[in-house]
Formats: sequence, structure tokens, C-alpha cells
Amino acid sequence: MWGYIARRLLQTIPVVLGATLLIYAMVFLQPGDPIVALFGEKPVSETARAQIEAQYHLDQPFIVQWLLFLKGAMVGDFGLSYSGQPVSDLIARALPVTFQLAFMALVIEAVLGVIAGFYAGLRRGKIFDSTMLVVSLIVIAIPIFVLGFTMQLVFGVQLGWVPPTVGGNVTFTNLVLPAVVLGLVSFAYVLRLTRTSVIENLGADHVRTALAHGVPRTQVNRRHVLRNSMIPVVTYLGADLGTLMGGAVVTEGIFNINGIGNLAYQAILRGENPTVVSVVTVMVLIYVVMSLLVDLLYAALDPRIRYV
Amino acid sequence: MKKAKRIPALVAGATALGLIASGCGSSGGDEGGDSDTPIAARSIEPQNPIIPTSTNEVGGGNIVDELWAGLVSYSPEGETQMEVAESIESEDNVNWTVKLEDGWEFSDGTPVTADSFVDAWNYGADPENAQLGAYFFEPIKGTTGDGTFKKGAEGISGLEVKDDSTFTIELKSPASDFADRLGYSSYFPLPESAFEDMEAFGEKPIGNGPYTLESWDHDVEAQLKTNPDYDGNRKPKNGGITFKFYTDPEAAYTDVQSGVLNVSDEIPPSALSTFEEDESIQAINKPGPINTTVTIPDSLEHFGDDKEGKLRRQAISRAIDRKTITEQIFEGTHEPAVDFSSPAMPDASKDVPGNEVLEFDADEAKKLWAEADKINKFEGKFELGFNADGAGNTEWVEAVTNQVRKNLDIKAEPKPISTFAEFRELITSRKIGSAFRTGWQPDYPSAFSYLASVFGTGAGSNDGDYSNKKFDDAIRKAAAAEGKKRNEDMTKAQAVLFEDLPAIPLWTRNSYGAASADTSGFEFTWQNKPAYHLIVKN
Repeated sequence: MWGYIARRLLQTIPVVLGATLLIYAMVFLQPGDPIVALFGEKPVSETARAQIEAQYHLDQPFIVQWLLFLKGAMVGDFGLSYSGQPVSDLIARALPVTFQLAFMALVIEAVLGVIAGFYAGLRRGKIFDSTMLVVSLIVIAIPIFVLGFTMQLVFGVQLGWVPPTVGGNVTFTNLVLPAVVLGLVSFAYVLRLTRTSVIENLGADHVRTALAHGVPRTQVNRRHVLRNSMIPVVTYLGADLGTLMGGAVVTEGIFNINGIGNLAYQAILRGENPTVVSVVTVMVLIYVVMSLLVDLLYAALDPRIRYV
Repeated sequence: MKKAKRIPALVAGATALGLIASGCGSSGGDEGGDSDTPIAARSIEPQNPIIPTSTNEVGGGNIVDELWAGLVSYSPEGETQMEVAESIESEDNVNWTVKLEDGWEFSDGTPVTADSFVDAWNYGADPENAQLGAYFFEPIKGTTGDGTFKKGAEGISGLEVKDDSTFTIELKSPASDFADRLGYSSYFPLPESAFEDMEAFGEKPIGNGPYTLESWDHDVEAQLKTNPDYDGNRKPKNGGITFKFYTDPEAAYTDVQSGVLNVSDEIPPSALSTFEEDESIQAINKPGPINTTVTIPDSLEHFGDDKEGKLRRQAISRAIDRKTITEQIFEGTHEPAVDFSSPAMPDASKDVPGNEVLEFDADEAKKLWAEADKINKFEGKFELGFNADGAGNTEWVEAVTNQVRKNLDIKAEPKPISTFAEFRELITSRKIGSAFRTGWQPDYPSAFSYLASVFGTGAGSNDGDYSNKKFDDAIRKAAAAEGKKRNEDMTKAQAVLFEDLPAIPLWTRNSYGAASADTSGFEFTWQNKPAYHLIVKN
């Protein structure tokens, strides 16, 4: 297994190289002059332009810019943002917030989704099952910003149960509402995935055999049906964690959370290319590590899977 | 000016008389607010280090303006008041002598001297330091057109320190209102310690203004504490300001409604039609300083500096129904333009000869266009370029081009450009090849700020390459004159613009924002921002 992990980690090297090269190429090809934008409607002095270009290596061909970036990134130096702060500091501040939010959302969607999906699958066609199907359909159909604003208005402003925005107070209680909003759509997918999978496994040979051997129904459901049904769900959750980390831009905006998604979005708006590339690189790394963890989890769920 | 793209909101436009009554005088006794409690205000994370000359956007500007006191300060209504300066005098409007008032100190205890100003300005104008606010030194002798001095020079040659509390400024040409300009952040002083390590200073700035920076938690908030030693024109009535950074104005507005945030200088589009009636907040919506114009470069075919070009410009201006757009698209938060400046300026004029060209008249528009067609038939289409990057331009650009198309019976289309960076590059390289959106926010409270630097021959922000000797002469005369004479010359200069229409004024953006119900003293300044130091929690 360690050999497998080592090989997988080695594979991340070309992935990161390719991803950053691609991002650099896109940033480089993007039309427009960030220095002109920096000065707004005011004229730009040529010396000042040369100074800024040299500082951010903007005068170099993009392949050189990319190599310089890689050189810095190896030792954790992502350069400076336009506001003069190390980009690594920006990421170090945003990442814990995003981790916390993403894990809370993941726990909410996984626990609720699996439980509801499991029972819906066992009671297929009954009232609980039908209700869950309709609920999940509604959740999937409503755009996340509608859910976000509505819940913020109801629970934050009108009922006052939680503060409407998070800002600097990143606490468990403050993050509950955004985490629910963030996890809600995935909850619907987890529910449906679990349900389908459970129904499929209920008819599987080994389940029938176990029942025929006289193993109690609850034990069969837990040990054989649920566990086997978890494989597609875990795949989904693993991929989803990556999405939750990078794709929480909308939720982070609504609740004013300073996470990694918001950081990337703001940097794109400002044309701060060094920050954009660094943040995306970190996101790629997270994604790669997450998918490795998911693959390793398979072995725990399904003994037939072995890594050598 | 601050980048028009990112400007949030606000200001106000009273006359010089109004200001004395409302702002400074009353000592707050009638308000009964809590002078020890800090207020929380919406802002955005500063995009540059907190150094006065490197700040040109609103996030950094909010903090810089509260941390520093300049030679002069402005009342909320735009009246210039001496602050660190005891006097700023000139006999010829070219050579100025600045005398500093005794007793000013930076918050680290070092005195504010003539050197504090001259060294700071030289730092800002040094091209090697690439300061974004260097343009403001452009009027001073010894700088080039972009406000920097020649690489390798020791400093701006037009500045001379006479003694600890006196320095002189020599300008390139007469400017009677030069003293009025000195309240802009680029002209703020720096303590000696700043020059030892400017990078560290930008994180932990030290100023001489009404507040000091207590902490700056990046991307989250900046806490400002009142400076007990400050004894200038803007004495804080509250116990401090916490600028909370929001990336989405929607979230800030929600927080004002629930009372978590005390002031937001921005109203999200979704609340524009309701915020004035919202009883959970206090709303302001009054004329502001930022204007929107459509610049049509001379070089554009059919729009040259001749009879045909003028007729077509007039026709387009007359074909636009500004009132309908300000009411329907902007929900009454913009005012149709009456001149090239803004009604928020204390010296703006409503009666510039020729401004009837801003009135909507579809028949007249058609007639003017037909006349131009007799000179040279127009084929092709009229395009209006703008940055379609979520800055809220798309809707009105579509409305304007629709009206032009309908009322002139020609092809007219929006020309969206995806980012602000690309948009500005196309304009500065003169490659845009169409009419385009322009806007201006004044650097100091005068209509003059909208004229010289935008329409003067060869001026730094003259994006349409407009040049008319009659305008240049009038503006030069205005620059050297004072009082009524100056206003007359400015009106003359504007009258020339109304004949030529190098840009077509559309509207000015109001100053609008919200304060939570539990505060008092909420008002907007001429600079389109809340007068934060006057706001108190009840």
C-alpha cells in the first residue's frame, strides 16, 4: 500500500505542473493591461511601469514567469500580492476557514444524506421515500443563492438565531447556517445516491444468502447493504469535498466568509495574477490529496480492493 | 480620482452656506450619542499598502483619510478649511508659501514639520517607487506629465523647505485653487520612521489624523481608535471606527438591517427600489460627485472636429432620454446631467449656455442627424464600449444604444469589453475604435476638477484627445482667477464643451447608503463617502 501511495503522490507532480502551466498560459493570454487598470483613469509613468513589471516579472515571457513561480512555490514563497502581503499569508489565513466550513458542510450532508437515503431505500415507495425524493428534487432545483439569501433573511435577520454574516468571527455557531446552505445541494445528491445504491444491494446475491442463513434483518441491512452502498457515496463525497473547498464562492459571498473561494474570486476581479495562480495551485493540491484519500477508503469498505 | 469602476457610494451637495450650519458647528450636545463606542462601517480590503501616495481606491482611501490630516481638510459640503497649515499664500498663484501650525504631531510623538510634507511628496513622485497617486504632483515644477520627476533627480525641484514650519511650492502655471487641492491623500505628510522601511510602514501606518490604526486583520477588518492628541477640524464624535471588509454589498446591507453593521456606503442593486422606504434603516440618497459621460473620440469616422461631427454629437445627445433611464434603471439614484461636472460641487452651475443639448428631443435629434447626413452619408453603426465585468454598466448601455437606434433610426449597439484592464488598455492605446463610457470623480471639491484634467489639450486623462484652443484659454484664465470671475471663466469653458461635445454628459450618481437605526449623525460628504467621524451610536 505504501508503494501505491508513493506512486500516487509522484503522479501529483505532473498534475500540478500541468495545471499551473495551463493557468499561467490563460492568465498570460488574457487581454488587457493590469498596470493600466491599477492606475485607473490616471496616466502611468514609464519608470513606474518598468518598476512594477520588474517586480512581478510581467516583462518576462510567460514560460519564464511560470518557472520563476515554480521556483518560489517549491519553498513556499508565492510572491507578493499587489497590496504588498505575501500570498502565502493570504492563503494561510483563508484556508483554515474554508476547511472548517467545508468539513461542517460535508458532515451535515453525509450524515443526513446517508441516513435519509438509507431509510428511503429500505422503505422504497412508501411515504417517507416519496417525501425525500420530492424534497431533494426541490433542493437541487433551487439555485444556491436563493437558498442562501432566504435562510439568511429568516434565521439571521428575522428570527435572529444566528448572526446574518460571519466576517471575522469564525466560530462553530456562526458557520452552521452557511454550512447548511453549502451542504444542502450535495445532501440531495447523497440522499439519492444512497437510496439507489441501497435498493440495488437489497436484491444482491450475498444479501439474499445472508438472510437465508437466518442473519437478523437489521444486521444484514447494516453490515451488508449499507456498507456496500457506501462505495459510490464515498466517491461522491470525496470529489465533493474538493468542490466545497474551491466552489464555495457564492456562499462565502452571501455570508461574508473570507475563504479560499472568495480570495480567488477577488484576485481574479482585481487582476492579481500571482494570487490567482497560487490559490488555484493550492486548490489543485487539495483536490489531488482528497481523491487519494478516497481511493484509500475504498479498500476499507470493500476488501476485494487491494492496492499494491 | 479613485478608479471609477470600484467606487462605492456617496456624498452630498450642499452649498458653502449650508455647510457651516450643519457640519462643524454643533458640538454634538443635541445628538446625545455615545462618544466612547466605536462604530462599524462597511469597506473593502485595501488593495495597496496604507501609504497615502500609493492609495487610489476606496478601501485604502477610507483608512488613509481617517489616519491623516493634510494641510487643508474639507467640510462635508466641500468647503476648504486650513488644517495642519496655518496659511497657504501666493501673490501670483504660481509661487506658494505654506506655513504650518504649531503643535501637530504624528501619533508616534514626532513633530509634523515642513520636511514631513516635502519628503513624503518626493517619495510619492519618485518614479522608482511607482506610486499610484503620483499624478497629483503634476502641477508642481520639476515633474513630468505623469507627476513623477526624472529618474535619478533628487526630488521635485519646485519644492523648497525654508525652515521647520515653512516650505514653498513653485507651480508650472498659475492655479488659483491650488490650496483647495491640498486635502487629497497624495499630499499627506509622512513621519521620518516611514522612510526607514516603507514596506513595514504600509502595514502599520502612522499618521497625524483623527484616528490611529489599532489593528488590521487582513480581509476581515481594520480597527481605528480615536487619536486623543488630534485637535483639527474633524474631531471624532465616536470612540473609533471598525471598517469591516465585505466582498458583497448585499451582505453588508443585510448586516445594517439587523444592526450588526452601523454604516454601509453602498446599496445592493436588489434593494435600490426599496431602501428609502425601509424602516429598519436610515437611508440617504442625494446628489453625488461621480458622473458618467460618453466620450466620442475625434478620430472616429463621421465624428471628426467639423460641422458633421458636431451635428452628429448633438443628435446623439438629444436622442437620449436621461430622465427615463435614471428613473427606471437606476431607481432614482442617479440625476440627469446638467453640465460636465456634478451638482455636488459647491461651484457647479445649472445654467451653462448650450446645455439644452442635454434635453431629450427625438424630433430635433432626427433633424440634426439628417443635416449631418447631407454633408456625408452615415453608413455603419454607432457602438458604445464599456467594461462588462459586473460593474453595473450593461443595463444602461443597452438602454442608451436602444434609444439612439430608435430615435435616430440607425444601427447602434453596445460593445462589451470583458474586463476593466482590457477596457482601459484599449482606451489608452487609442485602439478602441468606437465611442466609450467614461466617468469622473473629482479630486477636490470644484467643478474645475472635471474640466482641466479631462478636456485640456494633452491632459493626462483626456482619453478622447480633445483639443480646442478656446477651451484651453478659458480654463487657463479660470485657473488664474478667483471667486466670481473664476466661475464665469469656467462657465465659458463649459460652453465651449457644449458646442463641441467631446463627451456627452449623461448623469451623476447619487451618494446613497444606509445606517442602522441606532445611530445618529449619518451624512455623506462631497467625496461620496459617509462623514465617519460624525456618526455616533445612540
